[in-house]
Amino acid sequence: MGQTPLTRAAEESVLELAVSASLEALADAGVDPSEVDGLLRFGGPFETVSHGSLVRNLGIRELSYYGEVPLGGEASAGMIHHAVGALLSGRASVVLAYRAIKQSGGNRFGRADQALHGGAPVDEDIVMGGDLAFTWPYWMMAPAHLFALWASRYMAENEISEAQFRDALARVALEQRAYANRRPGALLHHKTLDRDQFEAARMISWPLNLFMICLENDGACAVVVTTEDRAAQLDCAPAPILATCQSLAPDHEPMSMYAEDLLEIFPSSGRERLWADAGIGPGDISVAQLYDASSLMTLLSLELYGFVSRGQAWKHVSEHGIGPESPLPVNTHGGHLADGYVQGMTGLVEAVRQLRGTAVNQIPDATTSFYGGVSGSAVVFGAPSVVERVRAEAAS
Amino acid sequence: MRIVPAPDELTAPYWTAAHERRLTIQRCTHCARLSHPPVVCCPRCHHGTFRWDEMSGHGSIYAFTVVAHSVHPVSAGATPYMIALVELAEGPRILANLRNCDVDHVRIGLPVAVLFEAVDDAVALPQFTPAQSPIEEPA
Repeated sequence: MGQTPLTRAAEESVLELAVSASLEALADAGVDPSEVDGLLRFGGPFETVSHGSLVRNLGIRELSYYGEVPLGGEASAGMIHHAVGALLSGRASVVLAYRAIKQSGGNRFGRADQALHGGAPVDEDIVMGGDLAFTWPYWMMAPAHLFALWASRYMAENEISEAQFRDALARVALEQRAYANRRPGALLHHKTLDRDQFEAARMISWPLNLFMICLENDGACAVVVTTEDRAAQLDCAPAPILATCQSLAPDHEPMSMYAEDLLEIFPSSGRERLWADAGIGPGDISVAQLYDASSLMTLLSLELYGFVSRGQAWKHVSEHGIGPESPLPVNTHGGHLADGYVQGMTGLVEAVRQLRGTAVNQIPDATTSFYGGVSGSAVVFGAPSVVERVRAEAAS
Repeated sequence: MRIVPAPDELTAPYWTAAHERRLTIQRCTHCARLSHPPVVCCPRCHHGTFRWDEMSGHGSIYAFTVVAHSVHPVSAGATPYMIALVELAEGPRILANLRNCDVDHVRIGLPVAVLFEAVDDAVALPQFTPAQSPIEEPA
């Protein structure tokens, strides 16, 4: 795994960021770039660094497998799902997966006018076709607007007050900030956050305030995925993958708003498949990294992946928190709220660090590690001892 | 600057009806399923012929937000504004802005009724406003 520093405005180009993270990931794994035969990236238009330019700059000899995973942040775990498929089928032996982002150069998720569909001179109309014709004319243009609709349902369905909702998300924001404050390299490492500041934050899209929504920044991450046999020969602490999953069901596309149950971001069959494949359950997880474009996603992921029952995450978080002493520490790098945003990839690499025992905010004796996006894309990691145990149980 | 919906082959009947101040939703002529946004193939029976049924225009708020921070020049100086996912009495949900509604009055379950706002000479947007009187649920 490799990660560039996260900055508000990188001097490097987005290609330089991708190359830098990729070389770091390969060096960390002890793999020569010429050995890479699989390459995965986020689907366009999210990822602007092409397979071709990365292959040319890294000195990769030839790819036998390459592809991209669509629909936004779900691709972070989705790429690992695809990498595992390529490795198991023999179509590739060493897969590199990357994500480079430069929001300072435009294409900010928090500004619709610079984004994929919104650029137009201010004196001209924007003509919007397709499904976006049902949202953009209503000025629903930023991801936070959708998360706010989710939030209104979350409070109503669980019959909680706005104060209770804020209590839960304040706990998440403050504890993730505390993780970031202990961790050099986090974008908000030097900025503390207390409850008064949280309460005074400006509203973005009710009920979500500034500290319930993620950062925007520049940076890149990359990971190397290979077979168990190849990994055994490498001079590198591996992070064995127990299971991966993706999920896409009608009206459950990421960022869709038409599901009959708006808060069921992905069907429960996705969760059942993941844990059945892993051979362990959510109760066995030592530490979790959950994609948090909004901290509401952290609550939803706790419920949807089965860490707590549906409707109970706000209560769980309010009572136990997500800090190092909690039953399930979450987003130990600071998350998208406080560490920075590379569309899930920072959580993925933190999940690897936690399993290796190299995280700054290391959870002692972490033998399992979870990374999940809110739409049913996830990776379960287990230490070699856990892999052995799962195999023994499966064989018996 | 305005944001104007562009009707295409699939959505033109919706926008034509809205221009005529009618709210319509695509219904499968074979199994009667209502679909929004429109589909080319009925996901229930796989038939591909549809008609556009006029809705009562009544519904209730399923989810909502009050946008306080403008993310686009089009909404600069126009915050706060309200976005709601409205559940129509007939079942489907559509997104709209809430008009003539106090931010302290908006809540999930609030009965609402459709109104139409002209964007230009050719296009009108269905919008919603709090219903004047309680709406009876269809049997």
